[in-house]
Amino acid sequence: MRIAWLVIRKDLAAELRSPQAMVSMLFFGFLLLVILNVAVPAGARVAPETGAGILWVAVTFAAVLGLARTFDREKQNRCLEGLLLSPLSPEALFGAKMAVNCIFMGISQVAILPIFFILYGDGFLHAPVMLALVLLLANTGFSATGTLFAAITAGANRNEALLPMLFFPLVMPLIAMAVKVTSMIFAGAGPAEYGSWLQVMAAFALIFTGLGFLFTGRIIRD
Amino acid sequence: MKPLPRNPEPILTLCTALLLAAALYAVFLHAPAERVMGLVQKIFYFHLSCALAAFLSFTTACAAGVAYLVSRNLKWDILGAAAVEIGLVFTTLVLATGMLWGRPVWNAWWTWDPRLTTSLILWFIFASYFILRSAVEQRQRRATYCAVMAIVGFVDVPIVFLSARLWRSIHPVVIKADSINMAPAMVTALLASLAAFTALWVLLLQRRVRTLALAERILTMEHRLDREPALSTERK
Repeated sequence: MRIAWLVIRKDLAAELRSPQAMVSMLFFGFLLLVILNVAVPAGARVAPETGAGILWVAVTFAAVLGLARTFDREKQNRCLEGLLLSPLSPEALFGAKMAVNCIFMGISQVAILPIFFILYGDGFLHAPVMLALVLLLANTGFSATGTLFAAITAGANRNEALLPMLFFPLVMPLIAMAVKVTSMIFAGAGPAEYGSWLQVMAAFALIFTGLGFLFTGRIIRD
Repeated sequence: MKPLPRNPEPILTLCTALLLAAALYAVFLHAPAERVMGLVQKIFYFHLSCALAAFLSFTTACAAGVAYLVSRNLKWDILGAAAVEIGLVFTTLVLATGMLWGRPVWNAWWTWDPRLTTSLILWFIFASYFILRSAVEQRQRRATYCAVMAIVGFVDVPIVFLSARLWRSIHPVVIKADSINMAPAMVTALLASLAAFTALWVLLLQRRVRTLALAERILTMEHRLDREPALSTERK
């Protein structure tokens, strides 16, 4: 547990020194918010469903950029072997990397969300706590699935292009649910209406975290 | 070197051919034409049979994935790859026959019904299995990654279905595909078709496993030849 915390601190410190992942995530997220504006008819008010869709496309595509870099630093100078030689279990490494990805996604969303409300209208701004909960559940699911597949693509050729192709089909249900709940929140619905969705999202996050812990040893050792 | 898997049983091939012929007879001559949909309904027998074959494939792939991770025996990897290949073909057929049926009956090639959405995402997941397969060179590593992919993909399917159904429970579904009452002759035709496709599935899987095992053998032989300089120069 303590040693996993050391890996988290190491990654955060490295990111603070040269914020490669963060910069690309934020820049791409903003860029997508602007690009997706073409889907909105000029002068028309954005429907809650459209708004939620735009927000989640920006958030997920930005997240993939961060996920793709999960093991980048460990591949330089054979750091991964070093980590495996240390008394760190692969499971702890997975947990640490997942936590780091989750933190990066959270930070990028803290920056992307205000821009979204500025560009697409603050009329959507209902129940920020519930919106944060949706983001948290989605981030957990994304980072679990993403870290698992980042470990896989780190061992494959042309891994930059590979991760999105493996990642998106699997998280499609999570994205669909997140968009649905977000559009309901944007439309001003109460928690009773989307409670069951949040449960399924939590179940997804839990299942994939479990699968990640289960398989990560095999993947990293090979 | 391990002995080759045995030659595909000619008996199995013959049985499959006979069963397919029987299924064709049952579907087109024995079963009556549906009153409202007419001939188009005949596609349903093949549609459901393909879906069964696809389901068998992905279950096999998941089981083979677990078996590989436990035993580290590459024969499970070959079985998994063969199963996913065949499953992908049958899922494509499920989607294609579904669209052909949907156009005249639902008046749309495609609707975002839970079943349809789930099959499409399933198709994507297992298509990405092959992208992953082609991207990893090292043999053991590829087998591990693919086993994980097959298991994770299989686990994902019920979640996809659940989320798609939740989605539709808010927007009610107008068309229910499963509330069709069938005449006894239709049930016979359906069973015949299911049996025929299951046999076809077994046959295809066996052939595919054999081909992949042979390809594996050739690779091993080539490696050996490369290691012996005299032989490899002679070859060139």
